[in-house]
Amino acid sequence: MGFVWHIAVRYFRSTRADAHIRALSTLTAGGLAVGTAALVLALAALAGFQNLLLEDLARHTPALQIELGGGSIPGSAGRGAGMTDPVRGLADLAAATNGVAGVQELLYARGWLADDDRPFAVEVLGYEKTPPPWIPVQGEATPGLIVPVSVALRMGLAVGDRVRVVSPRPGLTPVGPQPRTRMLPVDLIYRSDRAEEADDPVLVPLEQASALFARGDRRLDLTLAPEADPEQIGDFLRQGIDPAVARVTTWREANRALLFVLRLEKGLVFSAVALIIAVASFALLAALSMVLSSKRAEVGVLAAMGAPPPRLQRVFLLLGALLSVGGAGFGGAAGAALATFLDRYRVISTPSDVYVVDYVPFLVRGTDVLVVLVVTVLFTAAAAVLGARKASLLHPVEAMRSART
Amino acid sequence: MIAASGVTKAYQDGAVRRQVLRGVDLEVSRGETAAIVGPSGSGKSTLLNILGALDAPDAGSVRVDGVDLTASRPSALAGFRNRSLGFVFQFHQLLPDFTALENVMMPGRIAGRPTSSLAARAHTLLDQVGLADRAGAFPQQLSGGERQRIAICRALVLEPAVLLADEPTGNLDSRSGEEVLELLDTLRKRRDTTVVLVTHNPEVAKRCGMVLRLDGGRLTRSCPQSP
Ligand SMILES: Nc1ncnc2c1ncn2[C@@H]1O[C@H](COP(=O)(O)OP(=O)(O)O)[C@@H](O)[C@H]1O
Ligand SMILES: [Mg+2]
Repeated sequence: MGFVWHIAVRYFRSTRADAHIRALSTLTAGGLAVGTAALVLALAALAGFQNLLLEDLARHTPALQIELGGGSIPGSAGRGAGMTDPVRGLADLAAATNGVAGVQELLYARGWLADDDRPFAVEVLGYEKTPPPWIPVQGEATPGLIVPVSVALRMGLAVGDRVRVVSPRPGLTPVGPQPRTRMLPVDLIYRSDRAEEADDPVLVPLEQASALFARGDRRLDLTLAPEADPEQIGDFLRQGIDPAVARVTTWREANRALLFVLRLEKGLVFSAVALIIAVASFALLAALSMVLSSKRAEVGVLAAMGAPPPRLQRVFLLLGALLSVGGAGFGGAAGAALATFLDRYRVISTPSDVYVVDYVPFLVRGTDVLVVLVVTVLFTAAAAVLGARKASLLHPVEAMRSART
Repeated sequence: MIAASGVTKAYQDGAVRRQVLRGVDLEVSRGETAAIVGPSGSGKSTLLNILGALDAPDAGSVRVDGVDLTASRPSALAGFRNRSLGFVFQFHQLLPDFTALENVMMPGRIAGRPTSSLAARAHTLLDQVGLADRAGAFPQQLSGGERQRIAICRALVLEPAVLLADEPTGNLDSRSGEEVLELLDTLRKRRDTTVVLVTHNPEVAKRCGMVLRLDGGRLTRSCPQSP
């Protein structure tokens, strides 16, 4: 390799001698630097933003959920309350699974809240233990209702008021079918940060909810041990659960559409910014071709003195590598440093009412940087191979003749 | 040392086919110096390139230093040129990005010789041609005669069996030309190198043991004493 380095390094230095070659090699190295820096920065911004979004999503979505269609469980329709509950069996199975830290049973139903005048249609969420993590209230279960602010406002409810919860499923009474109802106090009022406030559920203790809405949709939300893999546990649970009875969904599956959009967004941004690198690679090809044509006679002399064509090709490959590694290395490092700086000192701020945080977060991921560098290497290697190929096809006599004319 | 027989070479120049060599026979023995003379365009460089394994003849056989050039693969020929041949061109063809010393060392670097002994050898050669103090100079800082002397050092650095020189003085004034020839002669004698030299200068040819005239695509021996 001594010879190849010897020549390539000297030719690298001599790229400053000719104005055109200097312009092209500067464009190459500069373009690669700008391209990789921009890519690293763009991916870091995207990762920072997506990271926040996913964290938020993880707070609102259980790692794993097991859904049962309440009334639609085969064979369960019409059964009385005394029958063994299939939900309990599943909950026990889930709780006994390795890596599952907790199981919470939930019930979804549509019902009404009724004050003295008229009923309001509401989403009802039956819960056990504590309110689910995505309902922004702190603390233990309350014996009464936890009402979203949208419902409280419409109905003029305040904490302490008593209100009637009405189920669409009638109960048989001596005076004929009557709606099932429960009178419960309003214990808490919460404000969700969601856009669709109308869908915010009224939280009812599970016991009351099951009694009122026996045919609601049942769901088990599993919390996992920190290091547990949702996909793996999901697969395990699927083996033990009849798919006709219940469906196991990981948070990835539950948010498939969103995750797809996030990936798509990343791919599009990547492709768009990678165009800079593609253009810089063309500049590299042009620069190498220019160096080669300006050194044609010299390469001919080297060939005449017995330098094998593959080694002459390697000289120009190395020259291409020197031009690209400098630019890409500098650009990648600069991009990562800038992203870290922008994140650490929260340089770019956003209005706090449109975004979860009031600054643009950046997250430099090792894999992202690696992908950027690999892409750069692939692009420039292709350009360098194309540019250097001519060096090995050179005929020494023709090449030396070209110097004289 | 050099044996060529029935060498032909034609160039296709657009629609025209130019037969440059029409059956050239040549024999030069070890240590001998042969001058090839002839009018411009008669094919002297073409013949020298064929002898130097830089170009292949259309027909005929060429043996140099025991190697059949027409039967060897290109990669083998590259190694052969590096090991056994030294080239001096009409235009010095030094590499402008390298110093005089580095230029002289270049064939050795191609061969992968250790740099230190190579540098010592190059210094010795530069000393012999009187350019020891110009070792660090770049070609553009040197005169035409100095460049050609350095080119000779480069051709001889690996002590080749055969030295091929294509009008080595063609670009020099007569005094520098004289110096260069003197030098070639001294260095040749020291190592018993076989030399083939192309020239159109009768004065130059006169100094050689054998003078060959290339004309009409054929090589004829001419008496050096009676030009
Ligand atoms: N690569 C080539 N293609 C076409 N014609 C060539 C080529 N090389 C040499 N010739 C022609 O061959 C003839 C001999 O060239 P050359 O050997 O250089 O002559 P000399 O060295 O004796 O002046 C010239 O007419 C030249 O134009
Ligand atoms: Mg010639």
